[in-house]
Amino acid sequence: MLKRLLGIIPVIFGVLLLTFLLAHLIPGDPVEVMLGESATAADRSALRAELGLDQPLAAQFVRYLGKLARGDFGASIHSHEAISHLLAQRIPATARLALLSLVIAIAVGLPLGIIAALRHRRWPDRLATLSALTLSAMPNFWLGPLLMLVFALWLGWLPVSGMEGASSIALPALTLASGLAAILTRMTRASMLEVLNEDFVRTARAKGLPERVVILRHALKAALLPVVTVVGLQLGSLLAGTVITETVFGWEGLGRLLVESIEKRDYPVLQACVLVIALTYVAVNLLTDLVYARLDPRVRFAA
Amino acid sequence: MIYRSLVDFDAQFRAAPALATWVCADDAHCRFTLGEDGRKFHDGTRLTAEDVAATYNSLRALKDTPLAAEFANIAEVKAVDENTVDFTLKSADSQFPARLIIGILPAGLIARNHDFARHPVGSGALKFVAWKRALTLERVADGQRITLEEVRDPTVRVLKLLRGEADLLQGDLPPELVADLKTRPETRVLESPGTNYSYLGFNMQDPVLRDVNVRRAVTLAIDREAIARQVLVGGSRSATAILPPEHWAGNAALKPAPYEPEIARALLTQAGVKLPLRLVYKTSTDAQRVRLATIMQAQMRPAGIELEIRSLDWGTFYDDVKHGKFQLYGLTWVGIKTPEIYRFAFRGDHAPPVGANRGHLQDAELDALIDRQDWQAVTARVDALLPYVSLWYEGQFAAMRRDVTDYAPAPDGNWDALATIKKRSEQ
Repeated sequence: MLKRLLGIIPVIFGVLLLTFLLAHLIPGDPVEVMLGESATAADRSALRAELGLDQPLAAQFVRYLGKLARGDFGASIHSHEAISHLLAQRIPATARLALLSLVIAIAVGLPLGIIAALRHRRWPDRLATLSALTLSAMPNFWLGPLLMLVFALWLGWLPVSGMEGASSIALPALTLASGLAAILTRMTRASMLEVLNEDFVRTARAKGLPERVVILRHALKAALLPVVTVVGLQLGSLLAGTVITETVFGWEGLGRLLVESIEKRDYPVLQACVLVIALTYVAVNLLTDLVYARLDPRVRFAA
Repeated sequence: MIYRSLVDFDAQFRAAPALATWVCADDAHCRFTLGEDGRKFHDGTRLTAEDVAATYNSLRALKDTPLAAEFANIAEVKAVDENTVDFTLKSADSQFPARLIIGILPAGLIARNHDFARHPVGSGALKFVAWKRALTLERVADGQRITLEEVRDPTVRVLKLLRGEADLLQGDLPPELVADLKTRPETRVLESPGTNYSYLGFNMQDPVLRDVNVRRAVTLAIDREAIARQVLVGGSRSATAILPPEHWAGNAALKPAPYEPEIARALLTQAGVKLPLRLVYKTSTDAQRVRLATIMQAQMRPAGIELEIRSLDWGTFYDDVKHGKFQLYGLTWVGIKTPEIYRFAFRGDHAPPVGANRGHLQDAELDALIDRQDWQAVTARVDALLPYVSLWYEGQFAAMRRDVTDYAPAPDGNWDALATIKKRSEQ
């Protein structure tokens, strides 16, 4: 377990280095974005020095690491606001959206996958597979406006976009959940089909256990293993998905902050956003490993 | 809307009195006298000549703003009495009053380093209330609250209007969505001619595009009339120069280039260009810009020009444009009011980062005309040199719910009519 935790350190360092380099290598100069075209060369170099952008890259990186070690993300080049403050505003909004999407995806994907496997090659299976394929083929930037049209405009049940009121999270969460729900349906179905043909399921049935117990206690537990991995891996794409979904729905979260920081070449904000997302990835992967070990007795970490 | 400036512009874009009238003794000394209108700041204090002096002095002292460079020519700003302020310049500038379009701030708050970016205080028609997710303003005259919300996706903007979550949309919608809004019972669309100038910029250092005949061929290979009529919103018209013909420094004698692909092809052949001529055109990722690019690509083909479209994210695109990394690029000049734009965009010594001569045009005759401020001759010379392909002045439109009245879109797309807008249910 300790080894697993120690293994995270080089990953995080790599993430820091990569985001730093990528942010500085993409074309576009924040000083020019801030000053416009009519500023004098002296103004430019003064501001560049003030922001520390005149230092060599290596020096900028060391300074960045030093500040991070003290928990200081720095300030936005654009609004001069403390990045820790920006993150504290945006992370909860994204977390709420991502978690609700995850819950919806599991609540829809697992039962659909199980039903599809149990009714293999019959109409519930075909319907579930078709829905899963359709949903996974729909990009969020298209599905979002479609849901708005139906639920906001035609039915009038929900607001089109924004963050006013509790119901405003419903449409972005549904949009974000759709892809994951589709993947979960397909994974659960495939995994269940495989497990249902295993000897231990046949044995359980031969013992005369009720079908409900066979499915839920024996088959599902084994079938969940690959599904857990997928949920873990997909949580990352869920965070990536917030970039588009938040932009479409005007949801003031981390994804939208990321897009804005790229457009404004606001390097410190950009780096902080990518860092938070990368750390979430790392944490979720670690968590997935732990859950996996718990579900599968064959996997145990060396102490 | 929150601030008021000393000077505004009339319909011919001439400097017109706003907060103040003025008299210039010569091109380097001007006296501004404040009128009675708009003299109360939103914090209750009275706007005086001291505030005007403090505003312009604070701008001159700033480092990290293009405005500091804009006002570097001011030698002194002095409040003579409560209503009078004198500006003295380092060098003569006949256009100086037209530059004084900066909102006046309260001197007391400037002295206390007030954060105007987050809590603006001015003397304009609208008062700042809050900026949390959306910007909330209050009309001083009647207390009407107005909320401005950023909605990035055009389809979502339209859906919000149709659902009644928004009352007004202005500009930046694909024309088919505007056309759709015109047919809806719950909305109406007002259109007006625009003055924002869209163009293609040439790189004059490019070995092929250096030849004016090649540039002329590209100009003749675009059917701007058809695009303005069929693909742009109503009120769009073909352009001839950065400043429209109705501008006091505009040139009504210039005619839009016709669509003549055969002549274009002949010009290219005469210039010794091997056909098809391959040109790379850089634009942003904006869907409408990309669509216009593909239409121009198709129109250019009969002229023997193969246009390769590179659509780049805004930061990369703009950076390439400023650093001369392009053959052709497309942009729009927005809100241009004074002919000084010709110096900024075309004078030989105004290449980035000093100015916006991004194509590196070098022409001594044009530079001399710009320095003489002979704008008719400047526009004619630019039209002959063709550093830009003039495309169109895109029309302006505002789409609103039926119960919204007293609002009309401005030619440059500003929001000034929010000072008069009404919602019928509230009348």
